[in-house]
Amino acid sequence: MAKTTKSQARTKRERSEFLWGWLFILPTTIGLIVLNIIPIFQTIYQSFFKTGDFGKGNIFIGLQNYQKVFADKEIWQALINTFKYAIVEVPFSIVIALVLAVLLNRKMKGRSIYRTIIFLPMVAAPAAVAMVWRWLFNSDYGLINNVFHVHVNWVSNPKIAVFAVAIIGVWSIIGYNMVLFLSGLQEIPRDYYEAASIDGATGVNAFFNITVPLLSPTIFFVLVTRVIGSLQVFDLIYMVIDKSNPALTKTQSLVYLFYKYAFINKNMGYGATIVVVLLIITMILTVFQMIGQKKWVFYN
Amino acid sequence: MNFKRVAALLLAGAMVMTAVPVYAKGDDVTLSVSIWDTNQEPGIKEILADFTEKTGIKTEISVVKWDEYWTMLEAGAQGGSLPDVFWMHSNESQRYMSNDMLLDLTDKIKDSDLIDPENYPEDIWGLYTYDDKYYAVPKDIDTIALWYNKTLFDEAGLDYPTADWTWDDVTEAAKKLTKDDGSQYGLAMRNDNNQAGYYNLIYDNGGYIISDDKTKSGWDDEKTIAAMQTLEGWIKDGVIPSLETMSENNEDVLFEAGKIAMTCQGSWMLAAFKENEYTAANCDCVELPKNAETGRRASLYNGLGWAASASGEHTDEAWQLIEYLGSKEAQEKQAELGVTMSAYKDTSDAWAKSADFNLQAYLNMMDDMEIRPYSKSTVTWENEDNEILKGVYTGDITMEEACKQMADQMNEKLAEE
Repeated sequence: MAKTTKSQARTKRERSEFLWGWLFILPTTIGLIVLNIIPIFQTIYQSFFKTGDFGKGNIFIGLQNYQKVFADKEIWQALINTFKYAIVEVPFSIVIALVLAVLLNRKMKGRSIYRTIIFLPMVAAPAAVAMVWRWLFNSDYGLINNVFHVHVNWVSNPKIAVFAVAIIGVWSIIGYNMVLFLSGLQEIPRDYYEAASIDGATGVNAFFNITVPLLSPTIFFVLVTRVIGSLQVFDLIYMVIDKSNPALTKTQSLVYLFYKYAFINKNMGYGATIVVVLLIITMILTVFQMIGQKKWVFYN
Repeated sequence: MNFKRVAALLLAGAMVMTAVPVYAKGDDVTLSVSIWDTNQEPGIKEILADFTEKTGIKTEISVVKWDEYWTMLEAGAQGGSLPDVFWMHSNESQRYMSNDMLLDLTDKIKDSDLIDPENYPEDIWGLYTYDDKYYAVPKDIDTIALWYNKTLFDEAGLDYPTADWTWDDVTEAAKKLTKDDGSQYGLAMRNDNNQAGYYNLIYDNGGYIISDDKTKSGWDDEKTIAAMQTLEGWIKDGVIPSLETMSENNEDVLFEAGKIAMTCQGSWMLAAFKENEYTAANCDCVELPKNAETGRRASLYNGLGWAASASGEHTDEAWQLIEYLGSKEAQEKQAELGVTMSAYKDTSDAWAKSADFNLQAYLNMMDDMEIRPYSKSTVTWENEDNEILKGVYTGDITMEEACKQMADQMNEKLAEE
């Protein structure tokens, strides 16, 4: 008898924990479902339609939008542009942030000031960041060209514009990555470094043999989120590259094209198809990263 | 559908009946007003203040940049939360009218003492009429003129442009005003400056952009192509800055910086050039040049309309506001304040005196006007046109090829309408 009451009591407590647990995550869950999950399915649903004005009179057309997307050179070019952007943004923002984090994790004067300064771009509105950089990059009146006495069309030369935009992307994300790395670094026990220094491994050696492996879960997290984030780049391109810019076709990303078709040309169905394609690409890349992590990420 | 319309009309009628006593305590109503031009905001605010003083109906204005304006309006229309009163443009009006998003003003205009369609240009009503019903009241009218920098002309020892100039004179002067080191160019005309720019050349030359029944593109018309080749000549001669430069600094910015000597600009730019110290001191405007062969001097023109939401809560107050904004009193004030030329007949003389430029030129351009080409999907084919034209600026394709491509894509989109 005593046993049953005990187990009953446990289930009661368990049940109450269960309820409270759900209650606490309920606001987030509802927000996620209403704002993210449902729209995802609506978007997928819409991609099979030729949408009418103001969401009225949609006509089901099966896979026609997809056939058009795959035959559209503009889309393929945008995909290349997006990858070019990601290939610059992801590695540079991670490597630079990692080096900065290691440097700023030591005891030094003005440490918190440096940390604050590097984190500041993250606090600034992306639109404001883009406007400032647009002026820095301006070929006629820009600071960069005038200081170095060169005439480079940073943001309007089709060959380099996408990389110029990626530089802005790196600059604005470094601070965020650095903070994540800093928190990861503080998890690493001092003993490892002490033991290593006795064995004669310091500086660069310690960095590659202790810091990087022990930080790999954080690096992996940053890598996955940055890849996803950079594939979704839109605001920088939209703000920096004007519609009449000759470099536009060589810089516009998939999300930019989505914006163009869905909100400027008012072709919601086609826009939806573009983001569904992006979603699939992102998922494939993430799955590969998940598989690949087994080779280089060390969980204690 | 028909039943719905009849029911809506009946309801609207019933609301007008019952709403009359509500007017007396209309103080609580605040109408949301949306526009896209910050330059016009101060003037419009003053006019709205007059309205509030007269009727007690408050207004709240919000200014949203052109691109985002249409995104906002689209979302508002779809979600049933359009602003009470807002600007309409010919690029988009067809879509909004054909989907019953705008308040039908036909009967209200018929009963109004202040608004008589006779007093506004017929073509502007045309932009906001669908199935013989009015959906907006004309707000303004715009024409195009040639702006020039007097100082740069003086430096080059050239006479200022006059009303007798032809486009060939522009070409000649532009060559002399262009410096080899790229510090100064004769003129600027960007790939997307259609209404104030190359459309005028096309109509001067007897070409066209869209057929009257909106089914066929005029881009592949011989005369259109010939006119556009003038622009190609300017690009090849290097008398206009590279597209790279113009995309980073638009025509007006280059003009305000004294980097270009001439530019074709619409009357809506007055506020900007008036406020800018450099242009106010150094620049002036004159009628557009003529075509040497045809002798035609056409100005593309357009006019915005004040429209109201069909699903708004305060449609009666919204109509009161629109009626006031279209009235002679408000239209005159709009011109006097130099906001824009007004759509109301003979009120624009006041506008011509609102700044120290030869603004009479804009009024003279009204003698021969062509309405800005439009159809239901204007934005789609116009943007594609601009995209194709970039190739001519960068030297990848000839103007003739570009015109053919533009005609093809436009015909394709017109067929889908």
